[in-house]
Amino acid sequence: MVSLADRDGYDVGLHLLDRQIIGADDRLVGKVDDVELVLDDDGALVPTALLVGLPALLPRFGRRLGGGLARAHRLVREAAADQELPLVVDFDLVEDVSSEVRLSEPAPGLLHRMAHERAADPRRCRVGDLLGLPVRCAALPRRSKVLDLRMTGAPGRPGEHRVVALLVGPGRPGALFGYDRSSEPGPAVVAALIGWLHRHARVVDLGPAVDIDTDAGVVRIGAEASLAPLRG
Amino acid sequence: MKRYFAVLLGILTAIGGFVDIGDLVTNAQVGARLGTSLVWVVVVGVVGICVFAEMSGRIAAVSHRATFDLVRERLGPRMGFLNLVGSMLVTLLTFIAEIGGVALALQLVSSVHHLLIVPFVAVAVWIVLWRARFSSIENVLGLMGLALIAFAVALWQLGPDWGELATGLSPAEKPDAESWATYAFFGVALFGAAMTPYEVFFFSSGGVEERWTEKDIGVMRANVFIGFPLGGILSVAIAACAATVFLPAGVTVETLGQVGLPVAIGLGKIGLAVVVLGFFAATFGAACETGLSTGYSLAQYFGFPWGKYVRPREAAGFHIILLVVTVTAAGVLLTGVDPIMVTEISVVFSAIALPLTYFPILVVANDPDYLGEHVNGRVANTLGVVYLVVIAVAALAAIPLMIVTSMGQG
Repeated sequence: MVSLADRDGYDVGLHLLDRQIIGADDRLVGKVDDVELVLDDDGALVPTALLVGLPALLPRFGRRLGGGLARAHRLVREAAADQELPLVVDFDLVEDVSSEVRLSEPAPGLLHRMAHERAADPRRCRVGDLLGLPVRCAALPRRSKVLDLRMTGAPGRPGEHRVVALLVGPGRPGALFGYDRSSEPGPAVVAALIGWLHRHARVVDLGPAVDIDTDAGVVRIGAEASLAPLRG
Repeated sequence: MKRYFAVLLGILTAIGGFVDIGDLVTNAQVGARLGTSLVWVVVVGVVGICVFAEMSGRIAAVSHRATFDLVRERLGPRMGFLNLVGSMLVTLLTFIAEIGGVALALQLVSSVHHLLIVPFVAVAVWIVLWRARFSSIENVLGLMGLALIAFAVALWQLGPDWGELATGLSPAEKPDAESWATYAFFGVALFGAAMTPYEVFFFSSGGVEERWTEKDIGVMRANVFIGFPLGGILSVAIAACAATVFLPAGVTVETLGQVGLPVAIGLGKIGLAVVVLGFFAATFGAACETGLSTGYSLAQYFGFPWGKYVRPREAAGFHIILLVVTVTAAGVLLTGVDPIMVTEISVVFSAIALPLTYFPILVVANDPDYLGEHVNGRVANTLGVVYLVVIAVAALAAIPLMIVTSMGQG
């Protein structure tokens, strides 16, 4: 297993979302159903928490299906007052991201319910909301979307994790299956096919030229932004 | 010495555990109608299940991830959910068929109608899933399933014209009475029966439960590469027995009793007793495997604790699922639906669900993040890609063939 320390950054959608969260006592905490990000004052996107539970998972099913499922879930769990809010694991506890997300503390008592004020905070957003946002950029095909968020971060050093770049291009988030990352990707036929399907995908570094507008639900990339091809 | 014993036990249980109600019924039906002309499909299916079971076993040993973890991690929540619904339906159908199969096997012994036996079987399955140790389920039922070797012995005793059986292996020897569409339909059904997705769910989840490590890869490979093909030989023996007894007489197989009849003819009462024991063990074992697989898949998708090594109090959701599916299966059977028909449907729908399960396994088996130095070699990748194509063709062809041939009646 390759751990975070051996890797040059990681992709939120590929390496973090849907992975298992394991406590320091080797017990399963849950799955990374979504990741909470905060837009810093200096414009940086910083991950603050792993979100766990159906209230975090269901919205990721898309607007129509996800909305319907979330309503159904509220009906079933009406007894609980905080049913709409996911459980939270602070990102500072993340010790390593390999094929699992390992925490620095044991599992029991780790999860706590998200507070209402926190959920309403306009500076906070979820990775699930960002993935799939339409991208407006002159140099990219018109149906381009946000495919993934690229992060840097070192294990054991809280606060260092931050989003540094966006993967943008036509297609569906997650459909790269990690073939943009590995240096010697799996069956050559599959790798070639997926590479061809995503031939228009690009990596764009976050900067003044990139405007993530969560209210309007769109990402605008100015002409001065540098678009690099995917690796491999 | 202990290690060799473990390997031997693993291989023996893999043989006994390979055959389930789908293999029993489909192979006997195919043998009775098409002789040995579809044996090549069993061979293709067995190689396929070996390729993907080895990959999923390797992933379980190195990264401790079971198949449905990978499905969600690679396909994302939406495609993963579609896959979950599809796989759950197929596995539930198979579970219903297996419980029905146990009841039918007991009906052969007791002459009590199988509907009266179903509730008792369901309770017994649930108690085993709740109380019994994982290894005892696998070992006891797997070893008892070896009784199905009686089919191979019976075939030898029936003394068929071996030359004729061997000539019949060629697809060109398809009996003229059957159309090519029927031939293709039964081909897809046999392929689905050999490669049923629950086998890899169960195999990989079992590996995670038993805490395999990289050191266990050798033992795992021995189980897969020796046990599954030998189990495949049992499948072929069932088909060959049916081809010898039923094909010349123009009889089709519609009951579990008929599946065992060639053994009764070849070996007499004792043989029949042995083979009914084999039926019981194979279907009961597969009922446990499919029941556990439904719980594994749901728990792995949603990320709550699962497994027989976690205390029931901690894995409450997992055990509730097991209870619910068992009650559901018994309820469906008590409507009076024919378990053999459920089996026929389940193997065809297995074929449809195959690509969704096997594609993520192939992708992850190439990911050094999970497997480090144990990623797929060239052989595994070539076979994996070839099988992905075969699986896709079978999945696409399944429904049209089912309609055109009216489930093989035409």
